[in-house]
Order: sequence, then structure tokens, then C-alpha cells
Amino acid sequence: MKENKFIVDTTLRDGEQSPGIALRVEDKLKIAKLLDEIGVYEIEAGVPCLSAAEADGICKIIENRKNAKISVWSRMNVEDVKKSIECKPDIIHIGTPVSYIQIYSKLKKNKAWVQKSVLDCVDVAKSHNIDVTIGLEDASRSDIGFILSLIKDLKNAGVNIIRVADTVGILTPNRTKEIVETIKAQSDIKIEMHVHNDLGMAVANSIAGAKAGAEYIDCTLFGIGERTGNCNFYDFVHASESIFNFAMSKKQIRNIEELSYHKLKGAM
Amino acid sequence: MRGDGSVIRITDNTLTAFDEHLPSKEDLYAFCELLLTIGVDMIELSIAVFERMEQLPSEGKYILKIDFAEEMEMYPGFYRYLCHHEENTEKIVNEIQMNDVREIVKLRALGDCNELRIVGLDDLMCGSYDKTMYEIIKILPKSKINFCPENTYGCASALAVLWILNAGSDITTSFAGYKNNAATEEVIMTLRLAVRHKPNRDLSDLPKLTKLFERITNTTVGNKKPIIGKNIFKVEAGIHADAINKNPATYEAYEPKCVGGISELVIGKHSGIKAIKLKLEEISIPIPNDTVVEKILNIVKEICTENRKSLNDEEFARLAIEVIANEGK
Repeated sequence: MKENKFIVDTTLRDGEQSPGIALRVEDKLKIAKLLDEIGVYEIEAGVPCLSAAEADGICKIIENRKNAKISVWSRMNVEDVKKSIECKPDIIHIGTPVSYIQIYSKLKKNKAWVQKSVLDCVDVAKSHNIDVTIGLEDASRSDIGFILSLIKDLKNAGVNIIRVADTVGILTPNRTKEIVETIKAQSDIKIEMHVHNDLGMAVANSIAGAKAGAEYIDCTLFGIGERTGNCNFYDFVHASESIFNFAMSKKQIRNIEELSYHKLKGAM
Repeated sequence: MRGDGSVIRITDNTLTAFDEHLPSKEDLYAFCELLLTIGVDMIELSIAVFERMEQLPSEGKYILKIDFAEEMEMYPGFYRYLCHHEENTEKIVNEIQMNDVREIVKLRALGDCNELRIVGLDDLMCGSYDKTMYEIIKILPKSKINFCPENTYGCASALAVLWILNAGSDITTSFAGYKNNAATEEVIMTLRLAVRHKPNRDLSDLPKLTKLFERITNTTVGNKKPIIGKNIFKVEAGIHADAINKNPATYEAYEPKCVGGISELVIGKHSGIKAIKLKLEEISIPIPNDTVVEKILNIVKEICTENRKSLNDEEFARLAIEVIANEGK
């Protein structure tokens, strides 16, 4: 019996962050509609605090969707979360730095600050009855003890899904399996895999994560995304349909690729 | 040297794929030299390529791909010869194709084989790859096994690395994955990061090797191809552009310059105030006050969205100069 796995498509957020493209509101609406029609579980529609036009576009996607959950990406910052709330999404995804290089070197903060800040953000979103998922940014270079401690706090705050983000794309399948299995052994939180293709291993790492227990897999059309891109939607389904059930067929994904090629080709 | 004492050996077989468009002798020599520079241990050649080269370069170890064991005598001087040959013959590596994990039981018949290359097993990632790899080693305890995973499912580089990390020490790859197997450059970089394999090896000649490869094959490597794509170090998103400027290790797996690349800030819809200031500084335009910078940013976002693309430096400079000039009126 094959396990069900759910696709989170981030073409309209992480994919669009690839230099070379900029989508108009009508482009995003069209791509979101196509993704919704084939049964993508969640569409990460964009970053509301980017601009008023971006926020308006996200609102239109939310108004027009039929089945997919629509999520928005927010920095771990209460003001940004409030901006996200204005769009009334199903899910606010809060990018939370968890590696020491991000916390101490980039932000010049500490772990206690991260723990407090993320819980403040969760509290604000939850007070508006909006679901929250937490992105553990740079999880692949993080102290697993800190991740587990953060997950415990997040569970207590009502968060049910965390995203294991291989932000710089350095995971191998062995390490992916180890991280996911460790989290699963210590917690009943659901896991979303979010990997980049810097070493050409995005599909293999997504499969390793899904086999180890991750329920949700982040993908983009054509694998577009920053640097070398994200996990390629078609390639992931093609490589793992022998062991997992997906809501959509490869043919349906190819069809969307054909229909959106001209809008996304700048990122390839 | 690995923890278990065995040495990692990477064989590159790109030069068995050029028979249809044989390059010049000079290009072939240059290709071999560059492969050795980036850390390839053995280079596999076709007979046609060897005949074009006339003789083997003085540096490196070479393997000749032959159709029949008897051909070995016609081409002496190679480190090894590769063909499908089940008898145990000195210097011959027996190559076998396996399209399915279930076929590994066939290996039992090859227990006496000294050296073996297993090609295929594309679907290993979806199965218990660690158990299968262990099983292969258990079936052939006396054999030196080289693994050449194929790339039907986009997992060949990962499988080649997993073979090194979990089971054996010999793999076969090709540059840019040209032979539908693992990509040499991806495997080399992953092993460098994962187990510090040849950490001091100079990879800055990769752009030169890429250009030579593109010329020989008359193909273009994808802009986003890991390690060698020409756009992989471009960054636009505001949060990432600022962080990379302060400390590249924040958002880069390795330093671009170590593979002959360079970080490049691109201005577009996702840029922020800091990125605008960085780019103005980079192209030597004096940074105006924050109100004007914000105005520039807003116009950048508008124009990029309208045109569905980012701006190149000339376009950005024109726009910035115009906004600054208008503000001064």
C-alpha cells in the first residue's frame, strides 16, 4: 500500500525569487488556478510585505481558489505577520532561522531571542484563527538539540507542521533521513521537506525525507528557485510515484509546465 | 583516505561519449588535463578517442572501453580495460548492467570476479538503498566493485555519493552527467563538503572545463546546473542579497570563487532597500537619501513586474540616474 504524500508548491514564492523573472498578478492567478485544479495541497502564494501590489495579488489568489490551501511567507517579525494576516490566508508560514550562523552571525541575536520571537509571531497569527507552519531555516546546518527544543515549544503553542529547510542545499540523503527520523522519534509534529538543488540532490533528498516520514514535500514547476533551484515538481513525482500516492499525475504536471513556460522561462 | 582505510576513486567516462563528434587531439588532451585537475582519479576513453589522441597523456590513469577482451592486446598500456567479460582476466573490469534492484541476485554467479562495474540501478533511491548496497558488498566480498548509477530518476549523483558514504570506494561519473549517470562535478563537491575529500583541490578551472565541454558537444549547460551553471550565484531576494554581502557563508554552500564563479547582485521585483544601495555603490552612483532610494525601489518593482523580468546593470543605472535627477529639480 503506497503512502499518500502532499505537494506544497512554492513556485509563486521561492520559485519567483529566482533572479530573472517577475510575475504579474494575472500570471500568479493563472498558475495558482492550474495548481489548484490538479490537487496541489498547498500553494505558497508569495510574501505580502513585499509590496501592496504583491499583497493584492495574494488576496486575489485566495478569493479564487477552490480546494488548495493558500499560504503566505513571512519573516519572523510581528509586523510582517500582521501584514500577512490582512490577506486572510489559510496558513502563515514563518521563516525562522535555526542555525548558529544565521542566529549569531547574520542576526547578531541568540537562541532565546529566536524562541521568544517565533512564539510571539505564532501567538499573533493564532489570535486571528490562522494556521501557522514554521520554517526551520538552514535546518541542515543546525544543532538538532535546539531544533527539538523549539519544536516542543511550537507544539505547545499549537503549531502542527514544521518545514525542514535545506536553505543552502547541502544535504545528502543520509543526513536528510537522520534529521527527519530524529524529529519523528522525539515528536509527533508533521514535517514538510524544503530542499535546494545546489549539489544536484534535491529530488533524492526529498525522497529520503518522505521515506523517513515527512508528509509534505515542497516543489516548484521546472525546479525554479534561487541559485540552482528547488525540488522539481515533475521530477519528484516521476522518481517516487512507485512508492507514494500523489493527487496528480505526471501528465497533469507536464500540462501546467507547458501552460506556464513563457511566464517562468526567465528563471531557468 | 576514508575512515575505513579505503581510498575514494572517481572514474570519469565522458570521453566514451564523443565518438559521434570527435574533438581535436588538443581538445582531448585539454579535457583530460582539466578532469585530473578537478580531482578525477581515472579517465575512461573509447577506442575512437584514444586513436584520435594517438598516445596517452603522461599524467593520470586511463581505462579503455572495449567490446571484446581480445581487443586488449591491440591497445597495450592502459591501467584497466572495460567490457562485459565474466571470466576473471587480469586488468579487465567486467561491466554489467542492472536495471532493477531485484537483479542483484545475479551477482552470486560472479563471486570470483576481481573487478566489476555495476551500471544502472536508477530506482535504488526509492528502495532500501543502504540495505541493497550492503547486500551487494556481501555477495561479492572479494571483488573491487565500481558503481555507476544511471540518472533516469534524477538521483544518480546522490546514489554515487551514497555508495561512497555507505558501501564502496569506486564510482563512475561523467561531466555534467552527460552519459546519463552521476555528474562528476556534483559528486566531487558533495564529497568535499560531506567527508572533506580532496579539500584543497583547485576547482576554479571548472568554467574552463565547462566551456570546452560545451564546444566539443555543441550543447549548452543549463544556467541553473549545480556547480557549473552560469546563473547559480546570482541573487535578487532582498533578505539574501544583504546577508550574502555581509557573510557569504549565510546563504551559500561553498564559496563561488572556489569553482571559478562570482556572486552577483541582481536588481528586481524582490530587491530591498539594502540591495538598491549595494548596487548603486557597485556601479559607482552616489547613494541618495532614503526617500529617493525608496522611490527607486518602488519604480524597480513596478517596471520589473510589468516587464516580467529583472533589470541588468545598465537598465538599473539609467533608471536610478533619472529618478535622482528628477528629485534634484
